[in-house]
Amino acid sequence: MAITRDELNTLKAAVWAKSPKNWIRVGYSTCGVAAGAREVFEVLVEEIKARNMDIVVKKCGCVGLCSAEPLVEVNIEGVPRVFYGKVNKDVAHRIMDEHVCQKKLVENHIYEL
Amino acid sequence: MKRILLQDTSGTLKKEMRDFYVAINSHLRDNGLAEKAQAVLVADIGIYNKGIVAKVLPEGFVYAGLKNSDIPLIVEKTVVGGEKVVALALDKKNRQMRVVLRNCGIIDPESIEDYIAQDGYEGLTAALAMGPEKVIEEMKKSGLRGRGGAGFPTWMKWNITRGVKGDVKYIICNGDEGDPGAYMDRSVLEGDPHSVIEGMMIGGLATGASQGIFYIRAEYPLAVERIQKAIDVCRQKGIVGKNIFGFGFDFDIEIRLGAGAFVCGEETALIASIEGLRGYPRPRPPFPSVKGLWGKPTVINNVETLANVPYIFLKGGEAFGRIGIEGSTGTKVFALTGKVKNSGLVEVPMGITLREIVFEVGGGVFNNKAIKAIQTGGPSGGVIPEDHFDTPVGYETLQKLGSIMGSGGMIVLDENDCVVDISKFYLGFCVDESCGKCAPCRIGGTQMLSILKKISEGKGEAEDLVKLNQIAQAMQKASLCGLGQTAANPVLSTMKYFEAEYKAHIMDKRCPSGKCASLVSYSINKERCTACGLCARNCPVTAISGDRQSKYTIDMEKCIGCGNCYDVCKFGAVIRQ
Repeated sequence: MAITRDELNTLKAAVWAKSPKNWIRVGYSTCGVAAGAREVFEVLVEEIKARNMDIVVKKCGCVGLCSAEPLVEVNIEGVPRVFYGKVNKDVAHRIMDEHVCQKKLVENHIYEL
Repeated sequence: MKRILLQDTSGTLKKEMRDFYVAINSHLRDNGLAEKAQAVLVADIGIYNKGIVAKVLPEGFVYAGLKNSDIPLIVEKTVVGGEKVVALALDKKNRQMRVVLRNCGIIDPESIEDYIAQDGYEGLTAALAMGPEKVIEEMKKSGLRGRGGAGFPTWMKWNITRGVKGDVKYIICNGDEGDPGAYMDRSVLEGDPHSVIEGMMIGGLATGASQGIFYIRAEYPLAVERIQKAIDVCRQKGIVGKNIFGFGFDFDIEIRLGAGAFVCGEETALIASIEGLRGYPRPRPPFPSVKGLWGKPTVINNVETLANVPYIFLKGGEAFGRIGIEGSTGTKVFALTGKVKNSGLVEVPMGITLREIVFEVGGGVFNNKAIKAIQTGGPSGGVIPEDHFDTPVGYETLQKLGSIMGSGGMIVLDENDCVVDISKFYLGFCVDESCGKCAPCRIGGTQMLSILKKISEGKGEAEDLVKLNQIAQAMQKASLCGLGQTAANPVLSTMKYFEAEYKAHIMDKRCPSGKCASLVSYSINKERCTACGLCARNCPVTAISGDRQSKYTIDMEKCIGCGNCYDVCKFGAVIRQ
């Protein structure tokens, strides 16, 4: 059964209504995956689960700065939204400890687009 | 809490940057502001060659060329007062503009809800409400031209197919991206698959096609997977299928994989490949818009072209037409690679200069070497030297320079790149990928390549340049398809702009950039040599021998001219001739 225009608008409103306050986006295109996005994603998901936090981690496409992949965009209330580049497992842990928990930006990995 | 992002944007102020960082931290601490502001060193602040740069968040004030003496003022005015220090402020222009990549990196490509939240499929509903004629009218207003290479106006292509009578028509999305160094189509297919599907459906509506086909190269498994998932969920939701949005429009989509032949990006070869035939181009006319897939009217659009379409129907054709310059509207995604600091995809409005792309968006040349040229348009394009970097980017402007926009590959060449070597690389690519059907491409390409090889080996003769020109012209005029017609472009444009470098290879048997291994020889200056042995350790063929007393020497019999020793020597003791 074909969706109608009204249903499309309802769906859109519903998605916006439940959009999360705190989220992390991981660049998960070929460039990101090749640079190690998979393990970064896993670390972030595990850490959030272990700390029982309400943060949505999302696999996204590539924003374009392929030389700095894996790229992770972090939006946590009370901290400016930033991109972290060249993220590995260690940096992912630091993002969780410093950015998410202590609300401090992580040094030497921020990329302004 | 304020955040002060800091970076040495010149790359040469390591010590000053450290001092500044320590000084600002102690100033904050001494004034009891450690809890009010955090100074952070960052990897890339998006500004280049402006000394020490600070960006204060959340306000976003940018200060450039900073010295330690500026710290008290910044802290007092901005950190405490929240005001801008006008004297230090830098007006940072954002050069990029996101139309095609509007959702890439923002939405989850596997979630249709995410796409719908970003106004997804609203362009399609708007187009359905307009009807085919008005859709084409709107496309004409937008001025959108094909992003795959040739730059044919999209509205015209659609209008021709629309005007041809046929019981079945097809729309094909050409995702057989093959230019070396170009991967914007992959990124769009992987990062925002629904926008391409939506664009294709609008194209189907305009042309009267009821069947869409994605032709994607098999080397892009993730792109194929995401497009397939997107098609499946569209079918489930009824966005693809019968009576779409209740407007009586039927449309279905399937995927065909390309098996890795570059020539299959050419439209007639692409159609042959989908039909299960060998990927050979055929002479046109008849054009695919009249007699295409299975003999039916067919329109073929590039991935990036289709990704632009939903935006046009969201914002209106006129709004889209205001971006860019006369004749080249909208934005273009370039894959900026080669000797550039920030390699990756950049999307810029048409009309921006090459210099702005390389130095402001790309951050300049890697290792601060001197820039030589940019290669644009892949194997069909040409090389543009630095004197022409202030040319605004557009279809016609690049063509005038002997290059093309192409699919948007942009490779930055520095002083160490040799133009003969670059031409050899691109021509070699075309020779490998030539299907062999027509003689000018098959024989001409091979002959040109052997002449180039001869030149790079120091066996070139004066008449070689004339021969190259003659063969190139024959290929341009007589080849069957675009591959052969354009294969000689990199050679022609380098001969036009860097004739002296070709002559140095031929007459003086010398490669000025030191790339052609047969034309350079390396030796070690004993006076400068400190006997550190770094060259010997980096020699792949153990041609360097010696010890701390006798110092090091290169055995020219063994040397392959790779230049590793020259690159690693910190004392300038390795001499290249």
